[in-house]
Amino acid sequence: MVMGQSKIGTDVLVIGAGPGGYVAAERAAQLGLAVTLVESTHLGGTCLNVGCIPSKALISVGDLLHKVKAAEERGLKVNGSLELDFAKTQAWKDTKVIKRLTTGVASLMKAADVEVVRGTARFTDPHTVQIDVEGGPAAIYGFKYAIIATGSRPVNPSFFSVDGRDVVDSTGALAFTEVPKNFVVVGGGYIGVELGIAYAKLGASVTIVEATEQLLPGTDPDLVAVLMRKLRRLGVTVMLQCKAAGGIQDGKVKVTDSEGKVQEVPADKALVSVGRRPYTEGLGLEQAGVKVDEKGFIVVDSQQRTSVSHIFAVGDVCSPVMLAHKASAQGRVAAEAIAGLPSYADWQTVPAVVFTDPEIAYVGLTEKEAREKGYDVVVSKHMFTAVGRALTMGESDGLVKLVADRQTGVLLGAQMCGPEVSELIGEVTLALEMGAQVTDLALTPHYHPTLSEGILEAAHSLLRNIEKTGKGK
Amino acid sequence: MAFQFRLPDIGEGLHEAELLRWLVKVGDQVQEDQPLLEVQTDKASVEITSPVSGRVTKLIGSVGDILQVGSVVVEFDGDQAAAMPPDQEAEAAVAAAAPGGQPPKAEAVLTPPPAAPASPAAAQAPQAAAAARPGGRVLAAPATRRLAREMGIDITQVPGTGPAGRVTPEDLRRFAAGGAGVSTGPTPAAEAAPSVSAAPEAAAAPAPAGTPGAREERIPLKGIRKVIAERMVQSKRTAPHVTTVDEVDMTALAAFRSRAKELAAKKGIKLSFLPFYFKALAAALKEFPYLNASIDDEKQEIVLKKEYHIGFALDTEAGLLVPVVRDVDRKSVFQIAREMEDLIQRGRAGKLKPDELKGSTFTVSNQGSIGGLYFTPIINWPEVAILGIGKAQDRPVVREGQVVIRKMAYLALSFDHRLVDGGTATRFMNRLIQLLEDPDLLMMEAM
Repeated sequence: MVMGQSKIGTDVLVIGAGPGGYVAAERAAQLGLAVTLVESTHLGGTCLNVGCIPSKALISVGDLLHKVKAAEERGLKVNGSLELDFAKTQAWKDTKVIKRLTTGVASLMKAADVEVVRGTARFTDPHTVQIDVEGGPAAIYGFKYAIIATGSRPVNPSFFSVDGRDVVDSTGALAFTEVPKNFVVVGGGYIGVELGIAYAKLGASVTIVEATEQLLPGTDPDLVAVLMRKLRRLGVTVMLQCKAAGGIQDGKVKVTDSEGKVQEVPADKALVSVGRRPYTEGLGLEQAGVKVDEKGFIVVDSQQRTSVSHIFAVGDVCSPVMLAHKASAQGRVAAEAIAGLPSYADWQTVPAVVFTDPEIAYVGLTEKEAREKGYDVVVSKHMFTAVGRALTMGESDGLVKLVADRQTGVLLGAQMCGPEVSELIGEVTLALEMGAQVTDLALTPHYHPTLSEGILEAAHSLLRNIEKTGKGK
Repeated sequence: MAFQFRLPDIGEGLHEAELLRWLVKVGDQVQEDQPLLEVQTDKASVEITSPVSGRVTKLIGSVGDILQVGSVVVEFDGDQAAAMPPDQEAEAAVAAAAPGGQPPKAEAVLTPPPAAPASPAAAQAPQAAAAARPGGRVLAAPATRRLAREMGIDITQVPGTGPAGRVTPEDLRRFAAGGAGVSTGPTPAAEAAPSVSAAPEAAAAPAPAGTPGAREERIPLKGIRKVIAERMVQSKRTAPHVTTVDEVDMTALAAFRSRAKELAAKKGIKLSFLPFYFKALAAALKEFPYLNASIDDEKQEIVLKKEYHIGFALDTEAGLLVPVVRDVDRKSVFQIAREMEDLIQRGRAGKLKPDELKGSTFTVSNQGSIGGLYFTPIINWPEVAILGIGKAQDRPVVREGQVVIRKMAYLALSFDHRLVDGGTATRFMNRLIQLLEDPDLLMMEAM
């Protein structure tokens, strides 16, 4: 501690104001604790500022443009030119979307009586942090409990390093001032594919380079097959089992395939989206005594408690499954655990959604995972071509897939690809959390004509599959 | 090494009993012979004691469950428990499995046999739960999982009774009430009201649809009450009842009894009229064998019994019990009095053994000790007759042309008209009254 500096005391010190941190801070304050929230950049964290929200804003604009262009078959013709003012798009995104949401977070914190400190926090011992406050002297905070919610950062690989100008990470790609002509995406995970599609729709010629044999590694191949069809129609080039290296040289990116053949892909901008890693640099975890695993994730128990019992961690910093909604749920658990409530991160599933075109959403076990866990698996699929509402929307490619246990009829998981499945997955998530049987889904009235009938039909079809064996009643 | 304690055979051919209460908790250090649980059989509640010393690790069953004889009810760990030989059933099961009657192998003896077949519900629930959990997943709504945490319950240990083994809030409450519940009655109302004394809880339980909850109280028909209900209906349905009523002059016997009371008091015996009735009955029954009989409906045979075991209706808080005094014809009045006193005390405390409540050949119901002139008793089927005694009171009667005051009581004999005709019954009553009215004769004929 610096001489003459006084130490400020707080019950709960939350580091990071993303969806994990601000939710934890709010919940802890609601439970009567004195809470200090430290944020080094923007309230709302990656999600609101440089992640989920801005990407969805651009994706929606891309979708709209694409839909209008693709609606000629349906009798919709633009007389004259349909122009994109991308600068305006970005301004709209920044002011009408991001600003509004981050301002909302600030009001939430104020209403909850959470003290917000702008600065960078660093543990100096297990009970103290030093905060390098923006434009002021460092502050020393003593805390009874701390919640680390510093999130994650994009990986910057040496074989294709980000320069922040032409070679960018997701943050940079969301801030382009104009739509690139030739856009190369290095890494075919959800961030790369989402932004690749968005810029393709906004007018870029897009190439996605993925090192493995499938886009969105780990995702059910049935879903990815639908996505691949759409990418072809959108004119997106997908290079699987290929590696890009060396950045952009003379407007080109060198891509090597699995047989060692090198191809040059034109590029004026490249997005590196090869993963994210926990953000713990400069945090002083060693001083606090907080342990991390071999990949750098903070080790926590089912109440989000770290190796130091009064220090908690939530969100990306403690799990490779980096999802904002998961961070928020963990933040709530950590706050409640600190307040002495018997809260645990015991949800059965965390749904995942990819905002591609069509959207992909899944929750629970895939067919393969269920078999590996020893279930007697029964599966059904229902195609959106047989769902009236999908046809009326002109978006009928895709399917709903349900996975269940044949012995008990208990629902195990669902995978979907198709229009608005990001919304549809909620129904199945609730069913899974409730421990529902497929019969429960089948006997629940679904509104007609809606996309949710895809779930209903898949449920009935799964029951017919079970009936053939006379089980699962 | 865990020791599994199976519900022992608790009496004549019983194969199930209702769990009334646990007398130990998980984690308790239990000594050999310490009571573990109390069960309700057809008519008695019985404390089951531990055959081993050890620490209780698991209680299987909730209050109100029907436990099967031979099913595991308590699990122990600890060296002492492990050192105990397996119980007889385990040995029997293993011996039966060993080919050619050869002694079972040592390791086989240590392996507990699979649980005895329990009720269908008991067998299914854990299976369903297990089937739903290959991935370690507990089927329960998020609100139920939270409730479990708030109740301090490890939900993975709770057998679910919902669809596909889903754990319900009721399952948690049942589990909290008494260990890993194997439920046969999953309705909340049944759980909330294990006895009459839990009435407020029963009232708080959700009333069945259409019931004006505040205007009535619903208590599950179970335990002794249920048995009484079943027995009464069976008797009335099977035996065409006829009741004959006469009166007995107790004046002489009352005088005799007051003299004998002092003798009895010296022996520490409380002497009521009943032992005299018993002696008179035994004597009369010997002369009228068709009243100490039953009908074997299956074989279509009349069974005349040569033993004189007389049951007597005992009013307890839990309901009617009928303890039995055996071989009344061979016992003294003092002996009978002493035995009855013991049966009454233990009966009211709910401590009678099942075989003390069985095997009577004739039954007496002494309403008179409470009040009432006379009543028409229901035969304790498969017996064929029952004597109901009204209260003894001074009444004016005519003796030798004079109105005199005598201690009188009405006697009502209900008999099964299939076997006993009116004439026989009346003659039996006449003889009984004759013996009761003349203590000297009673002494000569019966003592």
